[in-house]
Amino acid sequence: MSERDDRLVRCFASVFHGLTPDEIRSTSDESVGTWDSLTTVTLAALVQEEFNVEIDAEVLSRLDSFEAFRGYLADLHQDKE
Amino acid sequence: MFSQEAGQSPRVKLIEALEVLQRPVKDNASQVKIFLAVGFMPLHLQTFLGAELRALFPEERIDIEVGVFGDLCGSVERLKPFEMDSIAVVVEWSDLDARLGVRSLGGWRPEHLTDIVESAARTKDRLERGLKALSERAPVVVCMPTLPLPPMFWTRPAQAGSAMLQLQLVVASLAESLSQSNGLRIVNSQLLNETSAPSERYDLKSDVMTGFPYCLRHASAVGKSLADLVRNPSPKKGLITDLDDTLWAGIVGEDGVDGISWDLNSHTHMHGLFQQVLASLAGAGILVAVASKNDPAIVDRAFERTDLLLTRASIFPLEIHWSRKSESVQRILKTWNVSADSVVFVDDNPMEIAEVKGAFPEMECILFPKNNYQGIWDLFKHLRVLFGKPCLTDEDTIRLHSVRESGAWRDIDLSSGSSSDDFLRASDASVVFDSTQSWGDLRAFELINKTNQFNLNGKRFTETAWRAFFSEPAAFLLTVSYKDKFGPLGKIAAIVGKAHGRTLCVNSWVMSCRAFSRRIEHQCLKYLFENFEVQEIAFDYEPTLRNGPLQTFFEELNGNTPTEGFTLSKGKFEANVPLLFHRVEGIVRV
Repeated sequence: MSERDDRLVRCFASVFHGLTPDEIRSTSDESVGTWDSLTTVTLAALVQEEFNVEIDAEVLSRLDSFEAFRGYLADLHQDKE
Repeated sequence: MFSQEAGQSPRVKLIEALEVLQRPVKDNASQVKIFLAVGFMPLHLQTFLGAELRALFPEERIDIEVGVFGDLCGSVERLKPFEMDSIAVVVEWSDLDARLGVRSLGGWRPEHLTDIVESAARTKDRLERGLKALSERAPVVVCMPTLPLPPMFWTRPAQAGSAMLQLQLVVASLAESLSQSNGLRIVNSQLLNETSAPSERYDLKSDVMTGFPYCLRHASAVGKSLADLVRNPSPKKGLITDLDDTLWAGIVGEDGVDGISWDLNSHTHMHGLFQQVLASLAGAGILVAVASKNDPAIVDRAFERTDLLLTRASIFPLEIHWSRKSESVQRILKTWNVSADSVVFVDDNPMEIAEVKGAFPEMECILFPKNNYQGIWDLFKHLRVLFGKPCLTDEDTIRLHSVRESGAWRDIDLSSGSSSDDFLRASDASVVFDSTQSWGDLRAFELINKTNQFNLNGKRFTETAWRAFFSEPAAFLLTVSYKDKFGPLGKIAAIVGKAHGRTLCVNSWVMSCRAFSRRIEHQCLKYLFENFEVQEIAFDYEPTLRNGPLQTFFEELNGNTPTEGFTLSKGKFEANVPLLFHRVEGIVRV
């Protein structure tokens, strides 16, 4: 796993207390009952702060899993390169 | 250089705040209940506030409840304050009138402005009533609007128009009015400005999308400010300062009395400002003493200079000799009868700082940063952090006098021999007992929460618990004021308890160490037995590491070491009480 993934895991862990890193990597709004719209807002704020990126408003609704956040960051990273 | 309060330490990141909130607390941890009243979505502000409070109260379980989105006034008016330890309120412009925010499209036309101002003024009145009512029941901390007003005015941004100024006046008027109330504390916007730049506070996108208007940095700063006011720490009690190159510039023993300075012409003005700060602290009831290695005769002459801003009358005691500074500090602590951790020592010599710190590790020892303008300025601000208090009481104005006069009492034999009887009889002392069933006596609250030596059990009250205690009809507060021919000591003791018919239980009893040796404690018991007409008093007594004087007092009265929760009979008291010479006056407030 990359250093970026580890940082993303830390972001999720700060919101979803008690999940293991492996569980976090398979997390989605369907697998975690407490994941609601405010959770997405909090995760987005964490990711923006931790990775110094700006998440587009229209993308927010699609960020409904760890994998979606990971893919979004990967795309941003690719664009920068 | 100095540890700082709200706004001046590195800001907490959101992930750090969330991780702090995940730290486990003990199963038996007591709960601190906070109500966060905001009109916007509390989101990350709630997170930051919770994390700051966890850091300040690491052994407690922090529970934050929030109000209803978009209805600040309603949240304030509906709240049941007895259920809360503190209430944190954040007012933003849109709470005064929704058109002052961006989530309403009510119109910004010039003809709307008058109505917006009038509406804001009406909401201000409503908030003022609601917050003052809340503060009767629980401590309330308030952050006034921190965000910029929207671009709604017809003037250029560089010009402050009438409507904008009227709105600012409404807010200033609200803050000023609230600040006059006991139990209401207002966040200092000037301090907030130091780490949260006004131009970088607002997150428009977040406001529009989620209803949360703050950038994370600003949310962190506001959370820290609120938490710091919720904590409301006890101020330090005294400051000990050096003289040469600290209180004044120069070495008086070498430069002479006229060679020392603290003025603009001599480029030593910062020492004058230091004197000014110390004089201000002394005026607010902080004890100020001097510890200096010097010739006492020269220092005497120096203090005759009329341009000193800190006069000799404001200083007690002065330890001027060539012995070690730690010896001076030891004597000063004994004279003041306070512990080292409640005192600050300031000196320009690192070696002296190290020597005193070595002798008193609990004491905050500060190197005076001579020739460093910014360093001295930071020192001033730090002293305000250490010594700042929410309000001044009558006792603050007479503390120095009573400490100074207590020297006359210090050498009296306490064993009720004839010589001390003679001294007490001649002291022309009077004691005033003031009985009430209300929580509103802040001096009594302060005494109970800071007195260690003559303290029944060391138990402290939170502000909410204090108010809640007096909601019971049986509860009473008895405060004791004292004066004699040496001057007034002010309100020096407080007794809190419950009276059920012929049963009297004392839950808290404290007396300032300034009042020792005067048999006031005996007079207190006599008053309780006589005025409550009881034959026995039950004390919620517990020994602590520091309440030795109270233990000794009970031992002398009771004939043996008191046990937890012991009772004292009227017969035993009357058999052992020494002669009392005070004139006694009782005041009962309904």
